[in-house]
Amino acid sequence: MPKQVGPPDGQPDPERHIMAMQKQTLLERRYSMLGLLLIAPTVLVFCAVIVYPLISAIYLSLFKIFTPTLEGTWVGLDNYRELLTKGEFWTSLRTNLIWTVGTLSLQIIFGVGMALVLHQNIWFRSLARSLILFPYFISTVVAVLVWKWLFNDLYGILNHFMMSAGLIEFPIDYLGTMPNAMISVILVGAWKYFPFVVIAVLARLQSIPDQLYEAARIDGAGPIARFFDVTLPQLREVLVVIILLRAIWDFKEFDLIFLLTGGGPVTSTQTLPLVVYKEAFSLNQMGMAAAYAVIMMLIMLVFMLLYMRRTRTEGS
Amino acid sequence: MADVVLSNVNKKFGTFSAVENLNLDIQQGEFISLLGPSGCGKTTTLRMLAGLEFPTSGEIRIGDRVVNDVAPGDRDIAMVFQSYALYPHMSVGQNIAYPLKKRRVPKAERGEMVAKTAEMLQLTPLLNRKPKELSGGQQQRVALGRALVRDPKVFLFDEPLSNLDAKLRGYMRAELIELHQRLGRTMVYVTHDQLEAMTMSDRIAVMEGGKLQQFAPPQEVYRAPANRFVASFIGTPGMNIVDGELREENGRWLFEAEGLSVDAGHLGPDARPGPAAMGIRPEGLDIGAGPITGTVQLVEQTGHENITVVRLAGDLRMTGRTAPDQIWKTGAPVQFSIDATQAHFFAEGPTGKRLNREDPAVEAQAANHATLKEAIS
Repeated sequence: MPKQVGPPDGQPDPERHIMAMQKQTLLERRYSMLGLLLIAPTVLVFCAVIVYPLISAIYLSLFKIFTPTLEGTWVGLDNYRELLTKGEFWTSLRTNLIWTVGTLSLQIIFGVGMALVLHQNIWFRSLARSLILFPYFISTVVAVLVWKWLFNDLYGILNHFMMSAGLIEFPIDYLGTMPNAMISVILVGAWKYFPFVVIAVLARLQSIPDQLYEAARIDGAGPIARFFDVTLPQLREVLVVIILLRAIWDFKEFDLIFLLTGGGPVTSTQTLPLVVYKEAFSLNQMGMAAAYAVIMMLIMLVFMLLYMRRTRTEGS
Repeated sequence: MADVVLSNVNKKFGTFSAVENLNLDIQQGEFISLLGPSGCGKTTTLRMLAGLEFPTSGEIRIGDRVVNDVAPGDRDIAMVFQSYALYPHMSVGQNIAYPLKKRRVPKAERGEMVAKTAEMLQLTPLLNRKPKELSGGQQQRVALGRALVRDPKVFLFDEPLSNLDAKLRGYMRAELIELHQRLGRTMVYVTHDQLEAMTMSDRIAVMEGGKLQQFAPPQEVYRAPANRFVASFIGTPGMNIVDGELREENGRWLFEAEGLSVDAGHLGPDARPGPAAMGIRPEGLDIGAGPITGTVQLVEQTGHENITVVRLAGDLRMTGRTAPDQIWKTGAPVQFSIDATQAHFFAEGPTGKRLNREDPAVEAQAANHATLKEAIS
């Protein structure tokens, strides 16, 4: 007589039931393994290019290091103490804030204005929409070189036009005097980055339902009331995100300022990223440079936390 | 007195003609539905009334003034949109108050009017909520509130119930009817749902292809459809329409189609011998007994009745209503008759004119029977 396996017919087999459960969890485990495998490359790259440099910078900031040899001595928090008592840090922070607030405000104003224009049924709208992105896509080096030509006090076309028009008697030194240099940097920054605002705002504008405007028209709202009562409230969310993102990006802007004025005249347009560069590669103080970078990161962390909170509340 | 008048209104979008030569006289206090399939021009017509579209030609009057060149906000109209179009950043109270604010109604007065409207629509507990915190039905009521609060001359509704579920739609329909009775205001209602149009309207304007097909009270649209399109569009299940030929014999008209011959009796002056169509509503079919034989193709049980589809010779299908206990098997042979007094006859073409004589007494006389003709096989 063959050995009976399992319970008689019609009865659930507890053993098989448990096996089914185990199988299911095995499948689940396989799925989570696959998940881990899929995100592993990203995590590795993230660690290599973000986490490691970050920790390394914090570590370096605790040393006094000579850049060419990367040899140094442990100084603890001395770099930070020195940095915070130095006038240069505070002046550069102030310059950095003037640059960030100035260029960001202009980006928002021009960006929203241009997005509103491009949202209308104007001629050559598609062409205009593509052309407007041009400053954003052009390489910063090329853009700055062109602007430097335009601004040049000897052969720049800006001075040429203004003198021909009789607006000025002598050429203006756009980049070599203050406040001209700061204004020029802010303007070039606004020109370079306002297309980002245009794209983001235009995308949002296109998703505002027409019926809201129609309802407002029937309710008796004129064009200005429609802008403030329909458009602007609808743009609020996207504007907050744009401002936070652009604030972070503008705060750490290096190439545009470095190439245009090099931080000059003297240190009038020297923002914190330029100080980091100067400390690291001109003064060969890698430790101090790292300390500056860490402080900058802490300042940007405020914006980042705000941004993350914003996106999280939006998500929920 | 006519409250809203459209005279020879045309609307073209490029070369496409959305509304053609439309004439409508809407009386004060009337509830009018613009009914038709998608793209028939009903919404364009409403939007022209609202001032959101401009007629290519023709004249629109609201009250005693021509409003062709009057901005939407100055037309003394209010509109309820299909998507409700509530301002998402404003609370319910602010939404309702918005049209008053734009008309510079003093704040205290505004508050009173909003409170009154909110109470009427049972929105008082929701006044501080944002639209996204409300259900579809509640949002709908807020949209209504925003329209009501101004007490406009004319209300325009653009498929306001189509985003609601069936049960809520029925409830809101009743609410709107009651509201219309209470306010006595002129209301123009766009819908593609014939049930809404039939139950709510004083008159229905049936549109198709940008043209007005019929403008009449619901019962008349149902019982005496002006043409074949109206006949087929109104009624669920739809009218059975059979293509065939009309023949005159000794002063009486005879309609003949493949396998069918119906005594049409006396028709109106427009009847001509030749190709025509006969329409008969499902209730005009008596399934179970009669001279015509068909095969049961489908029985749909709706609960209170059955919808039975019968196949005749050729590929002709006819739908009838039967009692819930009358169930046939698919493919079973069945006898039925057609009540010729309920038959409509239409001239050739998709919008062929109705040919029946208008006098019901004469029509009653013409009441006759349907006779079966040998199927031509």
